[in-house]
Amino acid sequence: MLRAATVILRKDLRLRLRDRSVLLFAFVIPLALTFVFSQLFPTQEDFELTAGVVDLDGDDVAAGFTQGVVAALVDDGLVDATTFEDEAGARAAVEDGDIAAAWILPAGFSADVSAGDGGEIRVLVNPDRALSAEVARGIADGYRAELDRISLVVATSATAAQGALSGSQLEEIAELAVAQAPAVSTTELIAPDQQLDPTSYLAAGMAVFFLFFTVTFGITGFLEERQQGTLQRLLAAPIGIGTVHLGKAMGAFVLGIVSMTVLAIASATMLDASWGDPVGVAVLIVAGVISALGVMAFVGSFARTAEQAGNLQSIVALVFGLAGGVFFPIGAGTLGQLALVSPHGWFLRGLGDLVGSDSWTAVLPATAALVAFGVVFAVPGALRMRRETA
Amino acid sequence: MSDLLTCVGLERSFGDLKAVQGVSFSVAVGETYGLLGPNGAGKTTCISMIAGLLDPDAGEVTVAGQAMGPRASAAKNDVGLVPQELAIYPDLSARENLDFFARLYGLDTARRKRRVDEVLEVIGLTDRAGDRAGTYSGGMKRRLNIGIGMLHEPKLLILDEPTVGVDPQSRNAILESVETLATDGMGVLYTTHYMEEAERLCDRIGIIDQGTLVAEGTRRELVGMIGEQDVVRLKTVGDVQAAEAACAVVEGVSSTDVEEDTVVCLVDEAAPRLPALLAAVGATDADVSGVEVREPDIEDVFLHLTGKALRD
Repeated sequence: MLRAATVILRKDLRLRLRDRSVLLFAFVIPLALTFVFSQLFPTQEDFELTAGVVDLDGDDVAAGFTQGVVAALVDDGLVDATTFEDEAGARAAVEDGDIAAAWILPAGFSADVSAGDGGEIRVLVNPDRALSAEVARGIADGYRAELDRISLVVATSATAAQGALSGSQLEEIAELAVAQAPAVSTTELIAPDQQLDPTSYLAAGMAVFFLFFTVTFGITGFLEERQQGTLQRLLAAPIGIGTVHLGKAMGAFVLGIVSMTVLAIASATMLDASWGDPVGVAVLIVAGVISALGVMAFVGSFARTAEQAGNLQSIVALVFGLAGGVFFPIGAGTLGQLALVSPHGWFLRGLGDLVGSDSWTAVLPATAALVAFGVVFAVPGALRMRRETA
Repeated sequence: MSDLLTCVGLERSFGDLKAVQGVSFSVAVGETYGLLGPNGAGKTTCISMIAGLLDPDAGEVTVAGQAMGPRASAAKNDVGLVPQELAIYPDLSARENLDFFARLYGLDTARRKRRVDEVLEVIGLTDRAGDRAGTYSGGMKRRLNIGIGMLHEPKLLILDEPTVGVDPQSRNAILESVETLATDGMGVLYTTHYMEEAERLCDRIGIIDQGTLVAEGTRRELVGMIGEQDVVRLKTVGDVQAAEAACAVVEGVSSTDVEEDTVVCLVDEAAPRLPALLAAVGATDADVSGVEVREPDIEDVFLHLTGKALRD
């Protein structure tokens, strides 16, 4: 079975190499787009958020944000902050494009936080400056998360002491919690998917996006065999339909692996991208190809012709690619969670985990998710194909 | 001669359509057997079951003593299939097409190279062996299609209407190739709806209509089924359908058909019946402009057995 499948694989690869569109989809276009997009996005070193601050509260907790978090970011050269007296002024500045975002700390903010009633930092953003908007939201969310953590520490201490702690003691505990609180990490905010820099992110995004097109050549190849009559001839040979499927899957797998590997190496050497530890990258690439094969086999099983399959697969690849954030870095909030409905999102998350870790094993959660994607889609896809061919 | 192919009680349906119903026949070693029938008669479905592409609903196919089916690798090795539609890779050359299928059939390196060269010679494509098949003429593609089928030296070669859409020159070359195969000892199963091809190539002919094998035998045996009948062809001017209807009720006429402007009648004895036939046509809105009387052929047998022409 494997011998015959390899014969089919070799024939398919020979045909595909003569088909220039494969070379374009697998290598040329992803690299070109990575180069173009990388010129559009700022690097972490270039990034500076121009933001306004409106402190309508004026109390301690608000000051912790304006004089603590924001001041530190200004000192680091990551934020260019302007203070506004009221929200209208800040809103006008955002609308005029003078600043990319503004933080509004409403009156009673500190009191609300101290009373355990939450407290909200409102963020005005310029929709045309998506990255800055995302970072501004992230800074506000980060501060809110720290306040919640401190409140939890204080509340837990008070409960544990069963009323034995005085007000001054509780304040000391709160100060200790504040002292131990980590600063809001601007690195994470600017590059939300862990520490992947924009060029690496784009290179990986383009690679995994076009991977889903590259593997379709294997799936549509089966339908092409049927359309041009050669499937009948293959099945008249002493091989089973399973061998034909295996040969096609092997061809798609090899194309996918070669495409991803070449793109990883090319983007590293030509565009200074860094995908992380080679072992982790290799594991992630294999898992990514498996997921692409499974998803595209499932989608292809609904098509009667190669053209239909190509159209359906393109739509799915585009939707998954957009959801997975292959064209622009997306944050860790709602969009970040949405990205995980897509194998693309898991692939990029796996690379982010890898870069942020010392061990290649950091990719294992993403790898498991990608393989699960592949299996969950491939099994019904294979069953459908088998039924269609019978 | 021992049987190379045996089909017993083959049946196959597609939904409510009974494509093949109880077809049984055999092909001996070195024999060319023609399966003759109009389009949609069930020939290709029979071929698909014999080549192991389809499982029959009932019945059995045996090739060289081995049961045939989609998973019967050993039996498939003994069969070469030339599908009705071209089944070649247009982006590969003739040599690459042949080499691919030779590998698929597991030919070792030496035998593969020898057979590829031999087949290229037989199908007359040695000079164009390195050119992509997509650049070939229709006849050259047809010859390559046949070459792939005979590449692994099967005991039984199945040719499913191999001359459909082929120019007369290429058609003749294909027929000569098939004649050569038969003399080399290969069993050939040849389906066609061209009576002349069946008469020229086949040792025996099976006539299939509506999924049923209605008769089989040598040409002489089949023509003998009509008895001492003659074929009378009346070329007409005017309402040819009315002329046919008039001829059909003349005493001694067993069947009639229309071929363009000609009424074809199977008649017990032509000479005494001719005046009545001419009178019958004369009584309609048609006139007879020409008369031909000849011995019956396979096409007439088909007409006699099914009441319709092969090309209907």
